[in-house]
Amino acid sequence: MKVILSAKPRKNPFIPVEAETIIPARFLEPADTLTVAVGNRTRPLTDVFDMAIEGTATDAAGVEVVLRGDTSRVKRVGEYMEAGKIRVEGDIGMHCGNFMKGGEIEILGSADGWLGREMRGGRILCHGNASHYCGSGYRGEKHGMRGGVLEVKGHAGDFTAEYLAGGDVIIHGNCGDMPGVEMKGGSLTIAGSCSRPCGNMTGGTCTILGRVTGMLPTFRRTGTVTREPGGVILTRFEGDVANRGKGTLFIRDWQYTL
Amino acid sequence: MTELLVKNAYVIDPLNGIRGEVMDIAVRDGWIVESVHDGAEVIDARGCLTLPGGIDSHTHICGTKVNFGRYMMPEDMRAGRTERRGVMHSTSGYSVPTTYGNSYRYCAMGYTSVLEGAMAPLEARHTHEEFAATPLQDTMANTLFDGNWPVMEAVRDRDVKRAAAIVAWTLAAVKGFAIKLTNPGGSECWGWGKNVKCIREMVPHFEVSPAEIIETLIRANELLRLPHSVHLHCNNLGVPGNYQCTIGSMDLAPDLNPDRQSLYLTHVQFHAYGGTSWKDICLKAEPVAHAVNRKPQVTIDMGQMMFGKTTTMTADGPMEFNLYRLHHNKWSNHDVELETVSGIIPVYYSRTSIVNCVMWAIGLELALLVSNPWRCLLATDNPNGCPFIRYPEIIALLMSRRYRDEELRSLVSEAMSQIILPSLDREFDWHDIPVMTRAGQARALGIRSIGKGHLGLGAEADIAIYPLRVDETDPSRQYRDVIRAFQKTSWTVKRGRPVARDGEILDPGINKTIWVKPKVPDSYDMGKDPEFALNFDRYYTVRMSNYPVQELYLQRSLCMESEAHL
Ligand SMILES: [Zn+2]
Repeated sequence: MKVILSAKPRKNPFIPVEAETIIPARFLEPADTLTVAVGNRTRPLTDVFDMAIEGTATDAAGVEVVLRGDTSRVKRVGEYMEAGKIRVEGDIGMHCGNFMKGGEIEILGSADGWLGREMRGGRILCHGNASHYCGSGYRGEKHGMRGGVLEVKGHAGDFTAEYLAGGDVIIHGNCGDMPGVEMKGGSLTIAGSCSRPCGNMTGGTCTILGRVTGMLPTFRRTGTVTREPGGVILTRFEGDVANRGKGTLFIRDWQYTL
Repeated sequence: MTELLVKNAYVIDPLNGIRGEVMDIAVRDGWIVESVHDGAEVIDARGCLTLPGGIDSHTHICGTKVNFGRYMMPEDMRAGRTERRGVMHSTSGYSVPTTYGNSYRYCAMGYTSVLEGAMAPLEARHTHEEFAATPLQDTMANTLFDGNWPVMEAVRDRDVKRAAAIVAWTLAAVKGFAIKLTNPGGSECWGWGKNVKCIREMVPHFEVSPAEIIETLIRANELLRLPHSVHLHCNNLGVPGNYQCTIGSMDLAPDLNPDRQSLYLTHVQFHAYGGTSWKDICLKAEPVAHAVNRKPQVTIDMGQMMFGKTTTMTADGPMEFNLYRLHHNKWSNHDVELETVSGIIPVYYSRTSIVNCVMWAIGLELALLVSNPWRCLLATDNPNGCPFIRYPEIIALLMSRRYRDEELRSLVSEAMSQIILPSLDREFDWHDIPVMTRAGQARALGIRSIGKGHLGLGAEADIAIYPLRVDETDPSRQYRDVIRAFQKTSWTVKRGRPVARDGEILDPGINKTIWVKPKVPDSYDMGKDPEFALNFDRYYTVRMSNYPVQELYLQRSLCMESEAHL
């Protein structure tokens, strides 16, 4: 079953829409049970989106939801989803894929903050950029992403994969400040550059193929490895020593100044 | 003119010596009067238990520290959510709820006045802003002076009058209610990564001891004729062996006030431990309770701990750091310039932990062993011992030996060897509970004179009607009914307006903030003291003229003025 949701033009497109209802499983239910919050008011989903349904499905895994139009202020899409697919043709608002357990989200545009926050499984692929706190935990939370795969083809903002506890985060572009801070498990790969990675890290692996600025002095150098393909030589670090951490960092090039 | 008549109320009003009488209560414009006209609104209490509105004399619900607790604990915010409904705002949070969450939950339990246990003067605006969003309770703020530089200098110079003058200026400036000392001297030491271990140890650079700070401020408090006494959180909170320090602090209290205690010791459960480490911690409720019985100048509150999840937050920074080293969970640490410090960590009190079982038993033993219930009040240092929504369970534990025995059976056996609780037969009666939850608080805080804590003529009409018939309930056996009744009033009346019915909030409410302004002679006006002003501008990050909280911040303000004897 394919559900096509086309965002209707809104009088005030800046008012956020909270749409945790947009997960494949919910579209097996009658459409009139689906509501979203527009600002502080609850509205039927069909007030905000034109909905078209093609085909049928018996379980969530058989449902694909397609979001069209301006969805850059639509938040919490895919929250707690367990199966099926969501395809966003434009940009998506904050908190997309919160606590996601399974299934797949593909975003052709860019994602706002907190993409895949505290995600537990499944796969998110973002073709554009992701903003701050991608794959992280919420403020004050002790665990970020715990499982699954989160891949961003563009750049990501600050605090990417903060408190990462499991799963794989792959950023093809650059990251901002402090990626992998407080990381305790899983793997973070950054193909581009970033600053001050992995402070207070206690576990997991972080690989940075670009240049690191503001490298923290509290990581111990423990040798080099050759990464295939391409035979890139990476320096191996362990730390964060300040936190008696046992994480591993592989870095191609770094400087201690910012 | 608005009038209300509460009919057929089974009233217990300890401050007026009423021990259970069916009567009508007449209310005009928020105050209790002799009679009202025929057209008055009527609430039929149907013979149910009717008490003055509850008063919490030590709770943490408003201010920077509480708010940081909310900020660092999203998991707590996810618990206990309610949607916006009628006049109620949406709420969230369990141990550190939103301000409206606190206000509605207190109101449903019949509480109409609360004292915030610790306000850093520099951060007072935040506390007052949150008071404004706690609309169903009148509010007061304990103001922290434990590490106040100018006060410690006055203590060092043995100048009680100057200490009093600084307190007077500060309390009026920040719209505070009383002097709070949290780990006196220890907060300054914590700035250097240290702490004080006993009340005779010296604070570096100031050369004063906690004992000198406590003694001087008790005298200053009485010179200023403040309604409440000094409110003390003793040194060494939560440290095995601290009970001697607690008893030593009590012994400092002189006999200066005929109407109330000279020293209020808060959350004494946390201060009644024997032993030398967590491994051999033991209960010292007995010697502490006996010290209270011997010393009529002292009033305490229980600081009862209940099993489950909560958040600890206090101006006792070093203690929170020790807890952090124990649990390795989240921790916040905060410095307030030349005034005080604070720390926050989440905790889980478990029935399988010997230490936690001991803590649970100490609070109850204290209450049962202090012979006069007016001098051991019911509080949990909310949320440190547990969130205040658990007061009804504590009331039931105090009233029912059977309930205590049932709970004791669930504790780890290693803890049982030293607990004397099973041998304590005392069961509190219907008169003791209102003493420990409102009348005693009104007397200890010195707010009876403004109509708090009683239902006599001229009292403010804060009334709680509980769905319980005293003549048909045996609390010893029917403790579940007691818990249920105290969790939700049939009616809560605040300043003459019915504000809650069966736990539903009916009225958005407007509270008032009670604060003090001691009038001092010109020569003791710190606002005009050149040395005070010079040091203020030298050491604070704010200008002295920007420091006072404008009255604008107080929605309704009740200033209790006093003539200082300086
Ligand atoms: Zn406290």
